[in-house]
Amino acid sequence: MRDEAVTITNQTESSLRIVGFLCNWCSYGGADTAGVCRFRQPPLLRIIRIPCTGRMDPMFVVKALIQGVDGVLVSGCHPKDCHYAVGNFYARRRLELVGRFLPFIGIDPRRFRYTWVSASEGQRWQQVVTEFSALIAALGPNPGFSAHVR
Amino acid sequence: MNTLQSIVASVWDQVDMVLGWQPGYDPLHPVPAFVRDPKDIASLIWNPLCAPNLSVYLAKSFKAPTRGEKKIGILAKGCDSRSLTALIQEGLVDRNRLLIIGLPCPGTVDPDALTSVRTQSGPITDVSFADGMVQLTATDGVERVPLDQVLARRCQRCRHPHPVLYDVLLEEVVPRPVPKDPFAHVKALENQPLEARKAFWLRELERCLRCYACRNACPLCVCQDQCLAESRTPKWVTQKDTVADKFLFHMIHTLHLAGRCTECGECERVCPMKIPIGLLKEKTAHIAMDLWGYESGTDPAAQPPLLSYDASVNGL
Repeated sequence: MRDEAVTITNQTESSLRIVGFLCNWCSYGGADTAGVCRFRQPPLLRIIRIPCTGRMDPMFVVKALIQGVDGVLVSGCHPKDCHYAVGNFYARRRLELVGRFLPFIGIDPRRFRYTWVSASEGQRWQQVVTEFSALIAALGPNPGFSAHVR
Repeated sequence: MNTLQSIVASVWDQVDMVLGWQPGYDPLHPVPAFVRDPKDIASLIWNPLCAPNLSVYLAKSFKAPTRGEKKIGILAKGCDSRSLTALIQEGLVDRNRLLIIGLPCPGTVDPDALTSVRTQSGPITDVSFADGMVQLTATDGVERVPLDQVLARRCQRCRHPHPVLYDVLLEEVVPRPVPKDPFAHVKALENQPLEARKAFWLRELERCLRCYACRNACPLCVCQDQCLAESRTPKWVTQKDTVADKFLFHMIHTLHLAGRCTECGECERVCPMKIPIGLLKEKTAHIAMDLWGYESGTDPAAQPPLLSYDASVNGL
């Protein structure tokens, strides 16, 4: 069922998809600020709100990319500004590790990015999304691992 | 001259049990032994065919102290001692419960490599080791093969043939020299283009049966009853046999071992389909070494990098 739904979505809207994992306290607010300020943004991003970047399991990144998502963007509070004090410090290590691991399994590391955006940085959020979307558009669709024909 | 038997006998009053190896169903496959009775000490063996990493049983089966205060004796090669150290680092095994008998290791033999280089065809009746040579006695004669030719991949790249942690040491064997570049296999794959790497993993993991032998043999895969691969909530991998699902399972194993893997190579050794999954873990170990200068399982007091953090703004 789910796979069918994904296929139908892909057929009806052939555009690229970026999954954004945004921390509830900073980047989600930053994206909201950008929206409230009516900053123009590319429409590729789909946002998933997480309580803190410390919630990021590297598996989220890998599973999304294996299933054929075109890009994964993780954004949280600036280091030392974490709502839970140290969540983004843990996240930084995990995300850096998974980012360096991706090319080893044949996934373009440029499809994954992590960044820090605070709730007031609507302008910066617009800039991050625009740059990343342009990069993903240039890279084109990600075939994922499901498209492999036996 | 201290033999394995005399060492085990000399520490017997301190332990409830000794984990070691005993002859298995054929001379090429020694199997784990759980010696609880001193008269079984004589059945213990140690040679380059004793491949199983015995530390796998500790966190899984002997976590809680058993009768009395006595320890568990365990035979540990270099790689096994690293796994033990990593378990101790993470508090999964109590150091005071262990009596580690260290075994300097000449490298372990890959039985498949041995079978492919031998010229005879008769069943092997006996295997012995001397001066870096493997002597095979088969029903149709005797043959000698250099040990270096039949080493398992994990042993060709071993950095710690000498145990890093032990209470008693068996000084019988000269450990294997440390190779120049332990990550040569990882680098060889990295030197290929991105598409070739992806094709490589698709081709290799296509064969995966999802038997989970790699997970079960892994000394550091300790949450087996709650493994993500078999959990329904959350449901990470489906029951389908697509390569994407197989890939996801291996990503679970690899990423859960990131910064923890001691590169004992058991996952690869037990794989019935001969998939080089050890490479995935070696890569994460390589990253941990690059980023944090961390080598898992070498210091019982060290904190694994992903369980700690750097609190500076631009640090990692």
